[in-house]
Amino acid sequence: MMSTPTCRSRFRRRWAMRSRVGLACVGLVGLLAAGCSSASQDSAAQNKPANPKDLVLVQSIRSLSNPYHAEWAKGGEMFAASVGMPVQTLTDEGDSQRQLTQIKQVLASGKTVVLNADPNTTSDTQAIVRAVQDAGGFVVTQWNKPDGLTPAQVGNSWVAHIGFDGNTGGYQTAKALFGAMHNTGGIIALQGILDDVPAKERFNGLQKALTETPGVQMLDQQTAHWTRNEAFQVTQTLLAKHAGQVKGVWAANDDMALGAIEALRAVGLAGKTPIVGASDAVPEALQDIQAGDTGYVATVSTDAYWQGGAGLALAYQAATGKFNVATAAPGDRSFYGKEFLVTKENVADFIKTPTPADLAPDFANPLARNVGPLQ
Amino acid sequence: MTPATKSAASTTATSLTPLGVPLGRRVLDAGPVLALVLMVVVFSVISGRFLTVPNAGSIANQASILLVLAVGSTFVILLGGIDLSIEGVMATSSLVTVLLAHNDRNGLDLGYFAVLVGAAVGAVFGLVNGLLHTRMRIPSFMVTLGTGAIGIGIATVLFGGQPPRLLDDGLRAWGTERVAGFPRLLLIAVLVLALGYLIQRLTRIGRYILVIGGDEQIAKLSGVSVPRYKMYAFVLSGTASGLAGAMASTQLGVGDVQVGSGQMFATITAVVVGGTALTGGRGGVLQTLIGVLLISVLANGLILVGVNPSIQRSVQGVVIVLAIAATAWTQRHRLRVIK
Repeated sequence: MMSTPTCRSRFRRRWAMRSRVGLACVGLVGLLAAGCSSASQDSAAQNKPANPKDLVLVQSIRSLSNPYHAEWAKGGEMFAASVGMPVQTLTDEGDSQRQLTQIKQVLASGKTVVLNADPNTTSDTQAIVRAVQDAGGFVVTQWNKPDGLTPAQVGNSWVAHIGFDGNTGGYQTAKALFGAMHNTGGIIALQGILDDVPAKERFNGLQKALTETPGVQMLDQQTAHWTRNEAFQVTQTLLAKHAGQVKGVWAANDDMALGAIEALRAVGLAGKTPIVGASDAVPEALQDIQAGDTGYVATVSTDAYWQGGAGLALAYQAATGKFNVATAAPGDRSFYGKEFLVTKENVADFIKTPTPADLAPDFANPLARNVGPLQ
Repeated sequence: MTPATKSAASTTATSLTPLGVPLGRRVLDAGPVLALVLMVVVFSVISGRFLTVPNAGSIANQASILLVLAVGSTFVILLGGIDLSIEGVMATSSLVTVLLAHNDRNGLDLGYFAVLVGAAVGAVFGLVNGLLHTRMRIPSFMVTLGTGAIGIGIATVLFGGQPPRLLDDGLRAWGTERVAGFPRLLLIAVLVLALGYLIQRLTRIGRYILVIGGDEQIAKLSGVSVPRYKMYAFVLSGTASGLAGAMASTQLGVGDVQVGSGQMFATITAVVVGGTALTGGRGGVLQTLIGVLLISVLANGLILVGVNPSIQRSVQGVVIVLAIAATAWTQRHRLRVIK
């Protein structure tokens, strides 16, 4: 059977195919080796301060369709203007692959990239910082980072990572909510995407506050995936489920809190039920806190203008040699940024758009809001 | 009696009901209704809150926008096509509606006319979808995916970093007020459903869309202008998405790019779970109503009976797959190709 011409030719074809695959593999290994050697040369060369003329400023954020990232982008633009350079804003619309591709395209332009990035998910951070390391750029990342990974492990291209301690924000907003409820009654909680680190931390903060306040019980907790639309629907269902018992609403961010307010409005409870958002300080939330007629009690600001401006400033200082990455303390390369609890008392400070002059001290010293090393 | 006539006679005797509709098909049509009834019974037994007026109101509220979207989408799916531009169209229409009505961004105050323009924007998207699909011969999923992204893009430009607030009290009342425990938006949804049913049953558009979905080649050979009727289906779907975007804005009180997030998946699921075949040619808007109720009751019930939020999505997925498998069971022999 094996000796028939058909079988022989089939065997030959298969062998030819295998050898082609083998050749391709050898080629691929060769290419990889070439890539690695050029990468290590780049990394070796990058510690020298770069000429500002050879730099390109880039910020990579999720989208311009939410106020938080729009403010981030404005902060970056203010910093760029302060050093007389343009800044390129990349938006990935929540698509991790797109974010990495966009960053790689900019890195391939041949200039030294100074990047301030908000990685889409925790797992994207490593790919982004390694791409920048290989190309010899400078990157500051914010929010998402894998737990065990530190900038020092990757190299001097990963200038720093800035995180925000969700535990504090979750706790402080919960306390403000309970205060408005006179520390008694039932609440419902709207969580973010359940496996997001900030969502978990903020919820932990809420739970800590709950254990300290025995008069307040959590009637229910659901996820609304950070969105207003889903928060509206979930809150509606929860209000029907716990009719008459909901005396307060805690949401892990402002968008969800604003959706919940509309659900409260639909049953005539808006303004009568206190509500908080544990992050973002979006303009609508600030206006509601100031007006005081919707029951919005508090939110937390990480100061998106600062995140956009100071993050880029830190990467720029590393590129120009003002911030020496190689000798910097680990606590200056992986740290928590400052968060502010916003209530009726201080809301006016956050409503106004900061001027470049307001941010100038933070551009000069981007580490001024370092409140401690990341845990 | 020849063998042929014998078998024909037995077919008539066993599988045709007095009205001439095959029995298998009747069971198939009743499947989603049975699933809905079962779900309502189970949730009512487990949770005492399920069968209350406030909860019925909240289900109705959630179902209203989904129903409008799904009625529109039914026509495209009946053709054997698909409309993936729903979320993008909703985003643009939401921003357009709010920016034309009384808002905190500009001095315009067009009232209800703004909603009409919002729906018209959707119609234009539908027209573009239809034209690209029929004239350029691009598959509908590709065209609508692209125009959906364009919709998100336009909305992002109009959004300008901060959501414009809807300040028109008359329009806001449509999204927030209830009449006898039921949201006003339900009224619009019921009107759209009735209109969809009339189009499907009484107009040439409805009949020809079914014919084209059944077999496009036969429709073409019979002299039906296939491109024209396909275009109508996309315009209907786009208009519905546009209206839904405006409705969602009256509910949330802002023009928001994310106003339709998650709605595309829910809409297509509702249409298909209701019993409209993705291959086209079978189904209709009444089946879609059942599908919408199934999806809304399921989402509501899982929260009410206290299913852990971490596994709610999975439970939803399992129930939907079971419902589709059960309803399509009698049809599995007839499906030649599964795409």
